[in-house]
Amino acid sequence: MGRIGWREALEEQMKRVEARRAGAGPDTLLLLEHPPVITLGRRSDPAHLLESRASLAARGIEVCEAARGGSLTYHGPGQLVGYLVIDLAARGAADVHRFLRGIESDLVAATQELGVAAQVQPGRTGVFAAAAGRPRKLASIGVGLRGWVSFHGFALNVCLDPADFAPIVPCGLEGVEISSLARELGGSAPADLWERARAAVAAAFAAHWDAP
Amino acid sequence: MPVAVELPSLGESVVEGTVSRWLVKEGDRVAVDQPLVEVTTDKVDAEIPAPVAGVVQKILVAEGQTVPVGAPLVMIEADAGSKLPSKPAPAPAPSVQPGANAPAREAPPATPLARRLAEEAKVDLRSVTGTGAAGRVTKQDVAQHASGRSQPAAEPAPPPAAGRAAYLSYSLQPGDRVVPMTPLRRLVAEHMVLSKRVSPHVGTVAEVDMSGVTRVRDAHKRAFEQDHDFGLSFLPFVVHATVRALREFPRLNASVLEDAIVEKKDIHIGIAVETEKGLVVPVARHADRLSLAGLAQALEDLANRARSKKLSADELKGGSFTISNPGRFGNLYGFAIINQPQVGILRMGEIVKRPVVRTLDGEDAIVIRPIMHLALSYDHRAVDGAPANGFLHRIRELLEEAEFDL
Repeated sequence: MGRIGWREALEEQMKRVEARRAGAGPDTLLLLEHPPVITLGRRSDPAHLLESRASLAARGIEVCEAARGGSLTYHGPGQLVGYLVIDLAARGAADVHRFLRGIESDLVAATQELGVAAQVQPGRTGVFAAAAGRPRKLASIGVGLRGWVSFHGFALNVCLDPADFAPIVPCGLEGVEISSLARELGGSAPADLWERARAAVAAAFAAHWDAP
Repeated sequence: MPVAVELPSLGESVVEGTVSRWLVKEGDRVAVDQPLVEVTTDKVDAEIPAPVAGVVQKILVAEGQTVPVGAPLVMIEADAGSKLPSKPAPAPAPSVQPGANAPAREAPPATPLARRLAEEAKVDLRSVTGTGAAGRVTKQDVAQHASGRSQPAAEPAPPPAAGRAAYLSYSLQPGDRVVPMTPLRRLVAEHMVLSKRVSPHVGTVAEVDMSGVTRVRDAHKRAFEQDHDFGLSFLPFVVHATVRALREFPRLNASVLEDAIVEKKDIHIGIAVETEKGLVVPVARHADRLSLAGLAQALEDLANRARSKKLSADELKGGSFTISNPGRFGNLYGFAIINQPQVGILRMGEIVKRPVVRTLDGEDAIVIRPIMHLALSYDHRAVDGAPANGFLHRIRELLEEAEFDL
């Protein structure tokens, strides 16, 4: 969908959620990019927002409240956002933990395809670089459900500048460093990393969710 | 009619949720499927939709409050005609008609002798009032009726609705304390009666030398307690040996299904836990996939949550075999009642040092060993003696060999 404002994308999602619930729409993965925005999940601690809203607004960073689980996060250019509108009950997979673990394993498969070893950390939803040292977070996950139809999804840092996360304590996880695929790959990052990431993510999710 | 909307099970490992935001308020009119409330759990925020159309009567859980799966969240006064959630409707009570004047009565229960007499005397049993146990028509009743005498002078027995034979009833004496059954107690009582009725129980006992297990446990006890915040008990060892034996004897991991016996692929072990509210049996799912330490952790977690009443309904279902560990003292061995629809239950006895005979260096000697009796109850519909004994013997072997990796 290219670059699209967060609120606008939310409207589009909710339209698809309603269509899905009415049985009038398919399961969908929306892949897109947001202009700079900080979103607060339902479990956000206001103390994790380290900069005033006024100051953020002056820098062109919006702050929005999202009906998703998880804490607060940042979205911006260079981050691949995936919104999943999936009727879990229709797939006989009405289990939120299984859904989260499924998203994680799809993202790990996608980053591996791109040459970045990634892993999950028990107790911390998300995808992390597998290398030793302080955990470096590559992707965040936060999901909403209306009935058993999902919305929101994940955000994979492809080539955004981790410094953009400075105004927040991401996901309320202190002591976690934010990284990106570009940073993990260093000099070996291909020029078309964004396109490749998009394709790898789309392929990983298709392999999982379109499987018969 | 008011309908309670409960926190649904959001997944196998989800036991509770926090109400983050009410989307409706008391007095609001809601349509079917309209989101009522947002509940967060972990990284998921779920909107719970209305199961019926109606008016929000009472919100039962405040924002920010965490409640277990199954807890009622809100009461909705459903519109007349609104479709109710598809819970099984309670079965209509069997219509018992104790009154003599009911039209088109079924023939009442009668003794065989009374029935024959009635036939010979051309008496319609439906017109006879029974005075026997539970309202049965007796020979005397028929005779009296045939001889044209009116209602018997004897006080009639209680109508069948009372349901209890005289020998089961007890008349209260001064000083007796009457403790009404809790719903859980009633459920347990019904389940026990059902199990004994449908399933012919057979018992068998093995004497197990726990020296090996004791050695392994002692060797790892301290390190284990440092890694975990609870102690390492004998239970996970017994569970571990049992699941391994179940793999070899699938007939014990089974259910009777009409005319067939279903040997189950998955091994889910129910663990009988005594709580202040009564007996509950949470289930350690896929117990055969867990290491000994993993089992210990899972059992500790289930027992703790059983005692703090934080188990989800799903965690109390689906067991394929049960183990009962009813406490250590004064419990040499005993036979538990099978947890239907399973076909076996293992009950641990106390571990006591006993003198036993062992052959040491070719000489028989009396030595002192920690001994536990393991009692297996099995369902003779599905299992015969030889495999049952083989299964129990295998558990004993595994415990005595004590090759456990933590």
